[in-house]
Amino acid sequence: MKLVYVFGKEGRLRFLSHLDLQRFLMRALNRTDLQIAYSKGFNPHPLLSLAGALAMGYESDYEVFELRIEGSVSKEYAHETMKNALPEELPIKDVFFAEDNHPSYMSLVRMSDFTITPAEDFEAVKEAALKFLEMDSYMGIRRTKTGEREVDARKLCKEMSISICSLKARLMLTEQETLKPDLLMETLCKIADISVPQYRVRRNALLGCDDCGNIKLITDL
Amino acid sequence: MTLSERIDELMPLVQKPSRYIGNEYNAVMKDASKIDVRYAFLFPDVYEVGMSHLGMKILYHTLNKREDTWCERVFTPWPDMHRLMSERNIPLFSMESRTPVKEFDILGITLMYEMSYTNILLCLKLAGIPLYAKDRTDSPIVICGGTCAYNPEPLAPFVDVFTVGDGENAIHQTVDLMKACKQKGFSKQEYLTRVAQQVEGAYVPSMYDIEYNPDNTVKSVTPKPGTGAKPMVYKALVNDLTAADYPEKLIVPYGEVIHDRIMLEIFRGCTRGCRFCQAGMVYRPVRERSIDRLMEIAEKLVSATGFDEISLMSLSSGDYSCLPELAHEMVERFIKKRVKISLPSQRIDAFLKDTLKETQKVRKTALTLAPEAGTQRLRDVINKGVTEEDLMRAVTDAFSEGWSAVKLYFMIGLPTETDEDILGIADLAAKVRRCYFSVPKDKRSPGFRITVSASVFVPKPDTPFQWCAQLDSETVRHRQLLLKQELDKIKGVDYKYHEMDVSYHEAVFSRGDRRCAEVLKAASDLGCEFDGWSEMFNKDAWQKAFETTGIDPEFYASRTRSLDEVLPWSHIDCGVSIQYLKSEYQKAMKGEITPDCRKGCNGCGLMRYEGACR
Repeated sequence: MKLVYVFGKEGRLRFLSHLDLQRFLMRALNRTDLQIAYSKGFNPHPLLSLAGALAMGYESDYEVFELRIEGSVSKEYAHETMKNALPEELPIKDVFFAEDNHPSYMSLVRMSDFTITPAEDFEAVKEAALKFLEMDSYMGIRRTKTGEREVDARKLCKEMSISICSLKARLMLTEQETLKPDLLMETLCKIADISVPQYRVRRNALLGCDDCGNIKLITDL
Repeated sequence: MTLSERIDELMPLVQKPSRYIGNEYNAVMKDASKIDVRYAFLFPDVYEVGMSHLGMKILYHTLNKREDTWCERVFTPWPDMHRLMSERNIPLFSMESRTPVKEFDILGITLMYEMSYTNILLCLKLAGIPLYAKDRTDSPIVICGGTCAYNPEPLAPFVDVFTVGDGENAIHQTVDLMKACKQKGFSKQEYLTRVAQQVEGAYVPSMYDIEYNPDNTVKSVTPKPGTGAKPMVYKALVNDLTAADYPEKLIVPYGEVIHDRIMLEIFRGCTRGCRFCQAGMVYRPVRERSIDRLMEIAEKLVSATGFDEISLMSLSSGDYSCLPELAHEMVERFIKKRVKISLPSQRIDAFLKDTLKETQKVRKTALTLAPEAGTQRLRDVINKGVTEEDLMRAVTDAFSEGWSAVKLYFMIGLPTETDEDILGIADLAAKVRRCYFSVPKDKRSPGFRITVSASVFVPKPDTPFQWCAQLDSETVRHRQLLLKQELDKIKGVDYKYHEMDVSYHEAVFSRGDRRCAEVLKAASDLGCEFDGWSEMFNKDAWQKAFETTGIDPEFYASRTRSLDEVLPWSHIDCGVSIQYLKSEYQKAMKGEITPDCRKGCNGCGLMRYEGACR
């Protein structure tokens, strides 16, 4: 059986890297009494995976990890034992079970919702965002470990709304098409012709598409 | 903005922010308003090194068991971080509550390595605490302990108190006195006087006068009249380790640290008597923890931390009296939880075969053995007490049990060493290789590898070699090259060696006197820090520090002392007597060995300590 946890990443723990988080979750699981299933093979490893990597420094309301367990436990127990093993800054939001043959949640991710809160220059960013939304296309440079690639930032930004002091954006997040909040901010500041201010980013959701093309939370798929 | 928010602002700007996050799982949080004594425990190196240090874990635990005390950790910020801190006026802070270090009652510092001394000065500067003890009035009391406290002199002007020996009890005594003195409104001086008189192993350097001879050697170290300081400071000793405090929870770091595992100290001390080994002398006598106690601690730590490895630690784990039984029980108990059991510090003459079989059930790492010297003659000089046959038997056993990688540790520059001894190292490596190939192909694992690692010998205080000169740089480099040439001829051998420069400076400060403090100050002012990290070591700055202070490093590193010289640490009793060290030195020069003291008392001097030796 698969056990799926939805959890948040808050406060100082936003500075935890993806690798550190994986290692930390593994140790947290060891502190619970859950019987984690291991891969068969020469070098067995626990069957545990995170649905998406969150950049260092971002907070989140919606991170997902799934693991295989041996035997069965109640939902309440699964919640309680994991909650006790995690610090407050990694709060559990939801726990549920999935069938072993359910596709991995990582494979369902198509886009991600973010809230971006600049520390200053919000008016200028806001103006730029409105201009950006009017455009059909805006090319930017995406930097990855393997090099630089030109991407259409406008096309990869599926939605954007503006609230009192922050932007809410729905950005593509697939292997081929990804727009990161950093590049979006860089783009907006370029349009506004200002240097990039400090800003906070919070993930609100990881989203996928159902068979009819409706956009849903990956945990609802 | 609060200090904590200002620290958070730096996080996106530095490498490895997890070093500074704090709030790790099992970190101890308390309400500062209900605390009598606030204790900052500084490790003079970066987080991932400090979080691997057993002594800190033990003392953190034992102090935080007290309701009246809160011990918090402090680490040396990596240069990227401390430069930003200085630019933005952020003082050195504790990990738990992010309180400036200056606001604590006591700043405890662990001295594990001479090359971390400049980091101590760096940290005092970052904390805004005056460097010299005499200039401090409303700052925390600075107390240093750890292996290097056996020769405290190079740090003496910067430190209020050194505690020599086991810290488990002494640290409580320093805290008890602090609490009492705060309640009564006593001055710093009144506190120090009480510490000097009442705390086991406490040494207050400001209470001693040092006189020098015209030839620059020390003439005498005597307590200042009226201070009540002891003429001889005897080390603190915890006789019963089974009863002693040991952590039942360990902090689980977020980032990766050097030793990411449960460290279980199975015993303290060593009976072997290797003559180069300071730990083997100063941590005497051997005190074992019982199997029951070890199993109890291990059980608690596995569930409290979620670590998947337990390392059975000591100076010589193969010597634990019931090692096969312990290893077997550990493996049985934890195999279902997939917790690996590992054994560092293997000796090659311990009976390894069964234990190896046990530990390898869950994990197979390289087997690490330390012959230390390449020939029997030199191994006798250093009293290593192992023979070539022991080594060959150990590796053959290991290879036939499925191990294929061996690490061999040696030292270059041991007293009386010649080129022939260096050729002996290569010869041993070649023989180990033959042992591997002598095991039938279907019984051995593929992937044969030997790593030969050769460090440069540094004579240490409180060892029989404390009178010896360190080998000169030129000869060391010649022998390193010679060894490399010889090992290049053998297939499957990796050779690793240490840079001479760092070892040379280590030799200066390990046997330095109080005058060396000025060199540390000068080097620190020139920007020396993290000197133990070879890429950070700044040889030119150090050279300048010696020149400007007029201190000759050769005098400390490369000079043979006469046996009747007053050594700078002669007022600190490490347990082993000076008479014994002298007789061991003389035996070494004759190539005579001294047997393991479990086979009969050698009269090393520990009998002078009540209840220490049975």
